Amino acid sequence: MQNEKLLEVRHLKKYFSTPRGQLHAVDDINFVIEKGKTLGVVGESGCGKSTLGRAVLRLQDPTSGEVIFQGEDILKYKAAKMKQLKKDMQLIFQDPFSSLNPRMTVSQAIAFPLIIQGVISQKDKAALDKRVNELMDLVGLAQRFVNSYPHELDGGRRQRIGIARALSLQPKFIVCDEPVSALDVSIQAQILNLMQDLQKEMGLTYMFITHDLSVVKHLSNDIMVMYLGMMVEYCSSDALFAKPLHPYTRALLSAIPVADPDCHMERVILRGEISSPIDPKPGCRFAGRCIYATEACVGEEIPLTEYEPGHFVACARINEIHS
Amino acid sequence: MTSKELVQSKELVQNSEIMRRSLWMDAWRRFKKNKMAVCSLVFLMILVLIGLSTIVIDIATDNAIYDSLIIKQDLTDRFGEPSGAHILGLDEFGRDILLRILWGTRYSLFMSAAAIVAAAMVGTIIGAISGYYSGIVDNVIMRLMDVVLALPYMLLAIAIVAALGPGLVNVLISIAIGYVPEFARIIRASVLSVREREFIEAAKALGASDRVIIFNQILPNVLAPLIVQITMAMAGAILSIAGLSFLGLGIQPPLPEWGAMLTNARAYIRDAWHITAFPGLMILLTILALNIVGDGLRDALDPKLKN
Amino acid sequence: MDNILEIKDLVVRYETEDGLVKAVNSVNLALKQGASVGLVGETGAGKTTLAKSVMRLIQWPPGRIISGEILFEGKDLVSLTQEQMYNIRGKEISMIFQDPMTALNPVMTVGKQIAEVIGVHEAHLDEEGTKKKMEEMLQMVGIDPQRAEEYPHQFSGGMKQRVVIAIALACNPKLLIADEPTTALDVTIQAQVLELIRNLRDKLGTSLLLITHDLGVVAQNCEYVAIMYAGEIVEYGELRDVFHRGAHPYTKGLFDSIPKLTEKVDRLRPIEGMMPDPANLPEGCKFHPRCQYATPECGQVQPPEVDLGGGHIVRCMRYSGGKPIQSGE
Repeated sequence: MQNEKLLEVRHLKKYFSTPRGQLHAVDDINFVIEKGKTLGVVGESGCGKSTLGRAVLRLQDPTSGEVIFQGEDILKYKAAKMKQLKKDMQLIFQDPFSSLNPRMTVSQAIAFPLIIQGVISQKDKAALDKRVNELMDLVGLAQRFVNSYPHELDGGRRQRIGIARALSLQPKFIVCDEPVSALDVSIQAQILNLMQDLQKEMGLTYMFITHDLSVVKHLSNDIMVMYLGMMVEYCSSDALFAKPLHPYTRALLSAIPVADPDCHMERVILRGEISSPIDPKPGCRFAGRCIYATEACVGEEIPLTEYEPGHFVACARINEIHS
Repeated sequence: MTSKELVQSKELVQNSEIMRRSLWMDAWRRFKKNKMAVCSLVFLMILVLIGLSTIVIDIATDNAIYDSLIIKQDLTDRFGEPSGAHILGLDEFGRDILLRILWGTRYSLFMSAAAIVAAAMVGTIIGAISGYYSGIVDNVIMRLMDVVLALPYMLLAIAIVAALGPGLVNVLISIAIGYVPEFARIIRASVLSVREREFIEAAKALGASDRVIIFNQILPNVLAPLIVQITMAMAGAILSIAGLSFLGLGIQPPLPEWGAMLTNARAYIRDAWHITAFPGLMILLTILALNIVGDGLRDALDPKLKN
Repeated sequence: MDNILEIKDLVVRYETEDGLVKAVNSVNLALKQGASVGLVGETGAGKTTLAKSVMRLIQWPPGRIISGEILFEGKDLVSLTQEQMYNIRGKEISMIFQDPMTALNPVMTVGKQIAEVIGVHEAHLDEEGTKKKMEEMLQMVGIDPQRAEEYPHQFSGGMKQRVVIAIALACNPKLLIADEPTTALDVTIQAQVLELIRNLRDKLGTSLLLITHDLGVVAQNCEYVAIMYAGEIVEYGELRDVFHRGAHPYTKGLFDSIPKLTEKVDRLRPIEGMMPDPANLPEGCKFHPRCQYATPECGQVQPPEVDLGGGHIVRCMRYSGGKPIQSGE
């Protein structure tokens, strides 16, 4: 049971049609998450990480590829089976303000999934209350907030409601889309600890989407770095921080301001900004900003290769850079 | 764990005054501060009470008062000036104007309310479907609404009444049809913005059906603009009812509808000012009150003003 | 008197329906000529209110400066009229706001927006001179002057923030207040913008008050730090004093809360509890309900400012005798 694959994604693509061409939001993503583990998906805004999370849950149907959950390709599921599957796969949102219905109290928000999935009947008030109370305890929400509206609560508590709502159906897999980036640091740490505890207690599997490498560092087993819809690096968390290979990953790491005045990391300040994901030309999509870029980087697709065992990177000049 | 409990208990003391209040109570608190709106609301409430009591009286007396005082003409005392016995005077058929105005409340207020509620219900459903599904459905529905909107409202009402014939129910229908597109548009716009919020996606991720999402998640969030619109539209509807009656297409004499009272009195406006002045004043005050309440509600319900 | 800005005992309140919001409570803060101070705090700590007070941008109702002085080059800004403030804002003191997306006027070209500021404060320049200055500013923030005729929506987030910086620095102000200038940007863009601010300061000698919630940004960009909690500055000092010898329990809690890239930690150590509601602040030390060292005294007495030496100031009862109590760390 140790290495049981819970989710496998193969060649997942999600393109959007825009008036100016095909927007390659997610382009040929492959990964495996084992049961009880966490995959960190890291990238900057516009890299397609949120779209990836939603495509995996089929909130946005992928253009092509396979999403194999517990051995079955869920992209082939029909609507009724999909609804059943939502009990197993859940989503935690970034913005605890807009992800809660302002007209629903805490208890209504947490009970909502139980009712619509028919876990507990709407008429069985006692059972509903009991389950809501259990869930509130689980996420550390005081019972006195049971009838509060979201706008009366601060960001940390709202995010706890969001977590309770996602947990109410006892899912196996949760996509966490930047769950702490809207929160203050001290609250952020509380929520991260809570998510870690819940994972241990309930054996949850996470796909943790974030722009902040420091957040996923101690939380993830594996990390995938995305740039403009593509994977540029994929390896274990330890390997990534010990030896980041891709120039983008290294720039990303060095751009994080370290809270230590005497720690002056070697700074790689990137030129330019993320280019357009619409009809990208073949080749490395990072080449335009990369200090190592040569003609070798453009013209043909750069495959993800295993540079070291378990450490994948998509860079044409990786051998020269790391010699 | 003990330190955590300690913190929580401290927090409990700190926040012990946390008020349980819903968004509606918040809105009411803000509304209360608007003195004009509160006065207008009180005025409307009194009208509603009057309207209800006249109906109760009619039922209790089996229309005895209605027949003898409101409808029955007394040609011996026409155009009586306002006096102690008849505060607002008598009309061209010797009927007490005050009583006729009070008895007319049911037509102006209740009929317009009925017409607008009907329009709002239909418009909300059309608007919600149009906004939620967008695409072709939206296009077809909204273009249909545009066709209705393209006709001048009064002309449309006149056309409908002319086709169906004058009368209470037909007036009601014509007004309701005229107001549907306005509601549909407002609800559609609100739905479009609510639809993009993350909690809708959350509901989808939890496996909620479209029906649940529209009725359970979206519609409660568009109630605020809906209520404001209902208030504003009622003012318009009262005017329309009065207007249709004035043109002789709406409620027919001798029913004491305010607009109909105006029509009949029009001929005598030079000789007896009071028979036109008071029904006209009532129409004016009621519409003014509805508009002020509508404005007040909009301010109270608009979350952007919330600090 | 080499302080360009000196805030003394500043109190700012908002009178709202929910009660009296004590946003800034007896804040003292000094900013040396040419130096940069990082003002760190969480949401609701009163950082932005403090900055807006300096700009005299607090709107009444609901907010107003109750008492205190804001000395800018020796003159008290609090006592100035709004007319007099026009000559200070934008010219002497400039402010950059958090969200570059809404800080620019969408229907005006970026060149015109920069030229407008120059036109207001440097009336002696003619049209040609203004245009030249505007192009210089664009060049300085790393934007091709040819893009002056473009509209804000044609710029990306990072480029917009550069335009905002160009507007703020157009009249070469002595003091720049940057309110979370990079929070809305991606890290790689944040690095670019911070480097730009750093370089421009080196070149122009502008003093900087940098408001942020990110200790990392402060560590890499400021010489002094002020830690703000519930409308008070709980700790102030030179960067290394505060970062290496942080004295206030809240400061320590903040440092423990942030996930670190350089160390391996299995679990973060958050500060328990929540920020108090500024309309309902606790008695005594505002932090005591969350503080692990709190004693009954902390709930009664407002801790005084204590100088730990070298201008390292802390507001905590543990140091009120003048000597730090060993925490056993």
